[in-house]
Amino acid sequence: MSYRLQRLPSAHPGIAVLARLVAIVLALVIAGIALAFTGARPLALGVQVISSTFGSSFGLEDLGLLVTPLIFTGLAVALTQRIGIWNIGAEGQFYLGAFFATWLGTSIAGAPLPLMLVALFLAGALGGALWILIPTLARAYADVNELITTLLLNFVATLLVYYVSTGPWRDAKSNMLASTARIRYEVPEFWGIVHWGFPVAVLMALGVAALLAYTRWGYEVRIAGANPQAARYAGMPVRRRIIVVMLLSGAIAGVAGMFEVAGTVHRLQGGISNNFGYLGIMVAVLARGSALAVIPAAAMMAVILNAGIILQTQGITTSTVLAITGLVLFFTAIGDEAAHYRLVRTGAQPA
Amino acid sequence: MDLITGILSTAFLAGGVLALAALGEVLAERVGVVNLGVEGLMALGAITGIATVVAYPSPTLGFLAALGVGFLFGCLFALATVTWRANQILCGLALTLIGTGLAATVGKAYSGTPSPAVFGRVEIPLLVDIPVIGRAFFAQNVLVYLIFIILPVGLHLLMFRTRHGLNLRAVGENPAAADAAGIAVQRIRFWYVAAGAALAAGAGAYLTLAFVPSWSEGVVAGRGWIAVALVIFAGYRPLNAVLAALLFGVITALGFVGQARNWPIAPAFLSMLPYLGTIGFIIVPVIAWHRMRQWMAAPAALGEPYFRDVR
Repeated sequence: MSYRLQRLPSAHPGIAVLARLVAIVLALVIAGIALAFTGARPLALGVQVISSTFGSSFGLEDLGLLVTPLIFTGLAVALTQRIGIWNIGAEGQFYLGAFFATWLGTSIAGAPLPLMLVALFLAGALGGALWILIPTLARAYADVNELITTLLLNFVATLLVYYVSTGPWRDAKSNMLASTARIRYEVPEFWGIVHWGFPVAVLMALGVAALLAYTRWGYEVRIAGANPQAARYAGMPVRRRIIVVMLLSGAIAGVAGMFEVAGTVHRLQGGISNNFGYLGIMVAVLARGSALAVIPAAAMMAVILNAGIILQTQGITTSTVLAITGLVLFFTAIGDEAAHYRLVRTGAQPA
Repeated sequence: MDLITGILSTAFLAGGVLALAALGEVLAERVGVVNLGVEGLMALGAITGIATVVAYPSPTLGFLAALGVGFLFGCLFALATVTWRANQILCGLALTLIGTGLAATVGKAYSGTPSPAVFGRVEIPLLVDIPVIGRAFFAQNVLVYLIFIILPVGLHLLMFRTRHGLNLRAVGENPAAADAAGIAVQRIRFWYVAAGAALAAGAGAYLTLAFVPSWSEGVVAGRGWIAVALVIFAGYRPLNAVLAALLFGVITALGFVGQARNWPIAPAFLSMLPYLGTIGFIIVPVIAWHRMRQWMAAPAALGEPYFRDVR
């Protein structure tokens, strides 16, 4: 009687969740041991994180503020994944959405709020879409690898926003080094300090999921992602689908930036993206490209991020938190793959 | 004339970082593994280099220590992505976070200190007297010669002129066929990924021991990502990767010159040059020459884990 591992094409959902939990616990245990060596008290820290996150409505409200941009950026990346494309540039598109929203929100005075909110939303979407336009056209018409072009534009966007917030748009009244003046319009609150961006994000994820699952357009996108040759052979306009999906993805990431400016921070600042674009990639991978699963994946990421913020108040540096986040993701990736295996008995009957 | 020599000299120095990291990535990607952890590996190499020379003032030892640390983390990455076949993109991003975070945590104590021992300039007799090029290339630190001549030529010969090289390229193109031909797919992938990671960390040590040369938290500054981009631009070929890095070095050097000479452009825009330049370099050739597309194609099995028993 002997055993061997057999790989299943798709993991059982229960096993997948279990593997992920085991992976996260393992990563945290390793991080805890490493922290214990540097003199910290990991167990006390863990209790602190859990009680501050879930123990009060303030903790949950913070979580709501973090999860909103993560759903948008995660959705942006997940959407392109469905057509087999990597949008690593959500960070830059986020910045451009924030940039456009700030420009509109600081230059127009006295417009009615509802009208302005729609205008800001469109401005954010336009900024994000514009920022992915060149990678989109290069990918669609010349097969240029979008992974790199979108990524490199992040650095350009970061420099651009840094430039305007320290230079021409700098708020002379405040002492903040890299920050513009407050924008004149605010997204109203929805629950506590959580603004209406949160329900919009959830609705948008549901909308994209429905679009992909139930429309002919979504079907063609999925087929083009799974097998572009077959899609082309079947007469589907693959190039057009790629262009629309990429521009839509950029627009969604841009909307994330717009809500961050108009809902949370109210100014354009040098580091406003807070790595939400890059974290969106992880959200999308954790969600395995499913628009619906982006919501829980973003929630998980928000818990990790929030834990990081709490740990910083306890004397653990941002860089340590970054390393722990990396460790959690590393183990999650391994756990995800491990969930595909099952133990089968061999030898009882001839193979 | 002096200006050109100055720009070229800076270009070799600045391009060396990217060339070394890009060569490492060529190794990994040629056997079919995308390593997006280059940025993190470079941070680890950078801090290892400076921590070593602070303890013992030998840049060579610092560089070797960085290679060792990179190799170690490369083995962990290969264990996850090759042996256990976990998602390469996710593991790479995780490695970037781990490396950047860990390096910054350890590096707190070294922040701002200039490196106590750096790679000195070695002038090659006779060659250094060649006009323009001579002072630019043949009066550099010893790593520049390693990075621009010995490594790329060695790797090129290994990849394209030996049976082993054919095998390793086969592993990246069609692992199933390679496996059927008796090539140890997983073993080749594992060791080349680990070796590539070692070179990436070496590039980090080059930053702190030759180029910058001091440690600060953002010292890598996206160079790891640019290196990954250069590999694509270079069509996954070691010689081209080095040339691409040099071209990139020229753009960086132009930015420096612009800042030094007070060109009427904000520094932020000059800093954008390398990134915009790279984007241009990737897009323009494929539009200009149609046949470039095939020539620049990625290894066919890039990013896909290999399962022997699954089609």
